[in-house]
Amino acid sequence: MHAELVQERGGAHTGAAIEMHGIGKRFPGVIALEEVDLVLARGKVHALMGENGAGKSTLIKIMAGVYGRDAGSINIGGREVALRNPREALAEGIKVVFQEIALISEFTVAENIFLERHPVGRAGSIDWKKIRAESAALFERIGFDVDPAARTGDLPVSQQQMVEIARALAHEARIVVMDEPTSSLTPNEVALLFKVIRRLTDLGIAVLYVTHKLDEVFEIADTVTVLRDGRHISTRPIGEHTHDTLIQDMIGRRIDNLFPRSRGHAKGDIALSVKGVSTDAKLDDVSFEVRAGEVLGFFGLMGAGRTELAKAIVGFDPIRAGTIEVAGRPLKPHDTRTGAGLGIGLLTEDRKGEGLMLELSVQQNMSLAALGAFSRAGFVDETREKAAVQGFVDRFRVRTPSLNQLIKNLSGGNQQKVLLARWLMRGLKVIVVDEPTRGIDVGAKSEIFALLDRLANEGLAVVMMTSEMPELLGLSDRIAVMAEGRITAVFDRDAATQENILNAAIA
Amino acid sequence: MTSESLSSTRKPGTAFGLFADRSQIVLIGILAALCIAISLAAPQFYSEANVIAILRQCALVLIVAAGMTMLLICGEVDLSVGASLAFVGCIGMDVINRTGSLTLGVLAALAFAGTVGLFNGIVATRLRVNSLIGTIATMMMLQGGVFLYTREAVQNHHHLPSFTGLGAGYIGPLPIPVIIAAIVFVVAFVALRYTTFGRYLYAVGASENAARLSGLRAERLKLIAFVVTGLLVGVAGMILASLMNAGQPTAGRGFELTVIAAVILGGTSLSGGRGTLIGTLLGVLVLKVIDNGIIILRWNQDLQMVVPGIVIILATWLDIVRRRADAR
Amino acid sequence: MRKLLKTTLAASVALGALAGTALAQNTPKKIGYVVNYATHEWYQNVIKGMRDRGQQLGIEIEVKDANLDVAKQVSFAEDFMAQGVDVLIITPVNEEGVAPLIRRAKADNMPLVLEGNPVKGMTTMVAICDYDTGYHAGVAAGKYAKEHLGGTAKVMNVGLPLLSATVLRSQGFMDGIKTEIADATMVHDLDGGGNPDRALEVSSAALAQNADINIIYGINDNSSLGGLQAWKAAGKSQDGLLVVGTGGEGLAFINAMQNEPSYKIEAAMFPEKVGFTAVDAAVKVFNGEEVPEHIVSPTAPMLGEDWKKFYSVEGTTRSVNWDGINGVQAPDKCMKTAADLKQ
Repeated sequence: MHAELVQERGGAHTGAAIEMHGIGKRFPGVIALEEVDLVLARGKVHALMGENGAGKSTLIKIMAGVYGRDAGSINIGGREVALRNPREALAEGIKVVFQEIALISEFTVAENIFLERHPVGRAGSIDWKKIRAESAALFERIGFDVDPAARTGDLPVSQQQMVEIARALAHEARIVVMDEPTSSLTPNEVALLFKVIRRLTDLGIAVLYVTHKLDEVFEIADTVTVLRDGRHISTRPIGEHTHDTLIQDMIGRRIDNLFPRSRGHAKGDIALSVKGVSTDAKLDDVSFEVRAGEVLGFFGLMGAGRTELAKAIVGFDPIRAGTIEVAGRPLKPHDTRTGAGLGIGLLTEDRKGEGLMLELSVQQNMSLAALGAFSRAGFVDETREKAAVQGFVDRFRVRTPSLNQLIKNLSGGNQQKVLLARWLMRGLKVIVVDEPTRGIDVGAKSEIFALLDRLANEGLAVVMMTSEMPELLGLSDRIAVMAEGRITAVFDRDAATQENILNAAIA
Repeated sequence: MTSESLSSTRKPGTAFGLFADRSQIVLIGILAALCIAISLAAPQFYSEANVIAILRQCALVLIVAAGMTMLLICGEVDLSVGASLAFVGCIGMDVINRTGSLTLGVLAALAFAGTVGLFNGIVATRLRVNSLIGTIATMMMLQGGVFLYTREAVQNHHHLPSFTGLGAGYIGPLPIPVIIAAIVFVVAFVALRYTTFGRYLYAVGASENAARLSGLRAERLKLIAFVVTGLLVGVAGMILASLMNAGQPTAGRGFELTVIAAVILGGTSLSGGRGTLIGTLLGVLVLKVIDNGIIILRWNQDLQMVVPGIVIILATWLDIVRRRADAR
Repeated sequence: MRKLLKTTLAASVALGALAGTALAQNTPKKIGYVVNYATHEWYQNVIKGMRDRGQQLGIEIEVKDANLDVAKQVSFAEDFMAQGVDVLIITPVNEEGVAPLIRRAKADNMPLVLEGNPVKGMTTMVAICDYDTGYHAGVAAGKYAKEHLGGTAKVMNVGLPLLSATVLRSQGFMDGIKTEIADATMVHDLDGGGNPDRALEVSSAALAQNADINIIYGINDNSSLGGLQAWKAAGKSQDGLLVVGTGGEGLAFINAMQNEPSYKIEAAMFPEKVGFTAVDAAVKVFNGEEVPEHIVSPTAPMLGEDWKKFYSVEGTTRSVNWDGINGVQAPDKCMKTAADLKQ
């Protein structure tokens, strides 16, 4: 019945769902947004793009009522609205699906959907039957199959997203904002999400799609607005854009070749030898070798076991069978301390959870693994430590006001450089990088990419787990493809194509 | 060691900067305000006898708080310190009674307290029981266990003067417990501030996974922090037993809360990765000056719980305000 | 009434073992005691006194510990009634909680004696007089001060304002000392929490503030010892100091009286005697004899070596000299009770 309401309103299917003009927002010491305009049309997908720090998050938080605005007007249906808090935004029909899913994981799907407005039965008690029935109806409308009685926390992220979207419908949302919705989805799940987005536009809902990913924009968006440094740069129909023009708008300069295809790397002795590694969790008899100066790329769909492999071969996760040798010396006992001692380290895909110490400084983050080298009899020589950290900050062009800046205040790209430096400062033979450019803006991506290329040329063995095809094809000397915990194919750099890689990944 | 302490402790030329940085300004201000206000109302506050009484009380708390600071920094906590404190005194006194040797008594006390710490550490790191729960369980076991060990206070039958000196003696003008606390403080300060061990503790507390991935033995570091805390409880327990001239099974009630309150008041984060020993020292001083002041001012002693509660909230809030101001 | 009590006591003391046989046909076979908190030293001693008296009279005493839980207390009492004990003795965990129990016992004709605290509707209660205990210790302290402290009395009270019983002790002490030294003052009134480390800490501060304190009164042994240790830690000589403790439950005070020159007076409360008296009261109630509502168990200040009259110590156990304790007179009623505090 909610959906019917939406349909009725969506009858016109044209016109502006929301008009924002001259939006401004300041934070202490920073102008986050200045004179930004954004108009969303009913029944259309509008992409919002920009590098990290461009102001996308601030803008959608203003729409969600999380932040107040310092300047500008917001009109919905010709009426100026205040959006003082999330409740008001919801009442005006604006629903934001944030990257961090805001569902209560202990509740059932149906309970989450009707969290703020449980239908109440005759005795004042909650009408569970009705809740379940209506949830099922909502899912049918967006063409998605989730059990309303399932515990939300048990669902994969992609399905939790669908629950959020269903919740938007339950709230009779007319504007749905999605913040980086595909960042943790598999290609299949992305396709499903796009199907659902199209259903939403059919219902007359305006969708604001916030993303980094160019390919997705070209696939789903009708219009694109680009922000840079808190300012509005352009709003154009997607048809007027090419990859290059979009990137140019985003970073303010031309990047002719974002991922320059590396010249290939000279190969040395075997640096890492993995034989028959299996784990209880996922891996099944994985064997491969990497030489010094070589980049071995690993591709696989979500759940193929790349991250599990990365964690197992550096000693972080236990293995059930198999051997791992770094430069001919076995990783025994199987732990990270031994791994680091032998010269193998992991640049994790989960920067916040496993990489960064958010409350500590750039210096403390960077020197962590190498601290022993700067110390005598257990005492840290902070002068040497600082010099080494400064050296890497300069070499990697880490943009930070000082070495004592808290790492959490740096951009994703700079954080990643610090974490990379953490290992290089210690001196590695093999570095395992898992999704090295995830959550990093375009400019920084190419920097990280170039850095890895340089490191391989300097003789480091690089094992790279990635789901980004251009990265994989651009940097790897060989490409291993994984599916369900096994290596299904290995291609030489020249033999690898997008098609045969994908075929091997699906097999 | 927050980012601030790393940077600003090395501001050249300021002696003040060596020991405290901006993050401690709030506490220093509160402490100064308290001292001034109390001494205006009761001049005896600055009498030698009273200053020594305060310092001696601070010493007991500070000795254990030094270990607790390490534990909180690496993301753990030990709630059994109060119960262990009482048990340690009984055991130490009993062993001295039987052997007539202060050394053996102290060693027995340290061995027992260290074992309690080791046990807590193993429960937390090997069995992976949350230390909040695990050490409450230890506390219960110790509180009950001490009565199995002795129904009543273990009396001083040995009359060793050196034992009495432990709590009530002086070296020069300074009470021995204060000297012991000062030594503990300096060692812990140096360990946290200048050694890899200290730096690793912060790292483990800030992100155990990141620390592990970087090749640190997170569990072993935590275990060490538990054992160190345990040993320090052993030291404090012997001092307390000496001060009371008995091993009191009922002693130490609420001691763990005083210790944790002081550490938190000092700016150490309950979630790990952040905190300084200077802050802990100031936290101990503030709490004990309040305690003392309320008696000196003849206020209702129930305020000895109320006022620290208010001060903890006030100090934490002021610190948030200060951080916000610093961020600008 | 008083006579009656005295006669019974005297008889039991004099007749000793004979008493068992002489009263055999009128003694209950089994008494059930539900204690509120058996871990406490006080109650350990109460139970000890009951067992001793039970043995003398040939009565089986069974004890259950409510461990400060009213619900447990009620269910244990019901267990006892179901088992068919002849008399029930209860130390109430709290007054409201056991009131229904008293009604039940009455309805079932189950003889019931309370220990410690009165509850509405009870037949009889055995308890010491806290105020009197403090008062007599105060009188003794006053005499001592006149003789040894130059007639001045500046008292630091290491008290416990939470409980009416301990407040009564402190009040009694001050009232008693004033009968000897009219200008005696309480210089500092502290809350020592009744535990030793807290008493030590608060006393340290108070002693630092008031250098003229010359008498430390503690509402229990932990408090007086905490005060004394604070005095010693401050590096003061014990000359010119008098420490008065209350309770005399364990060995701590004996140790102190032997080793500390200032620890001269202990207001003994004879917990064993409380148990003893409770059993005697139980026998009377069982026999349907008239009993007063409040049967007072005696207390007395012990000076210097006096304690040896009542207790003997071997190693770490102390035993009761019943002859000594039974010789202590109990008043018919208390000078002041908790009820007087409320007015």
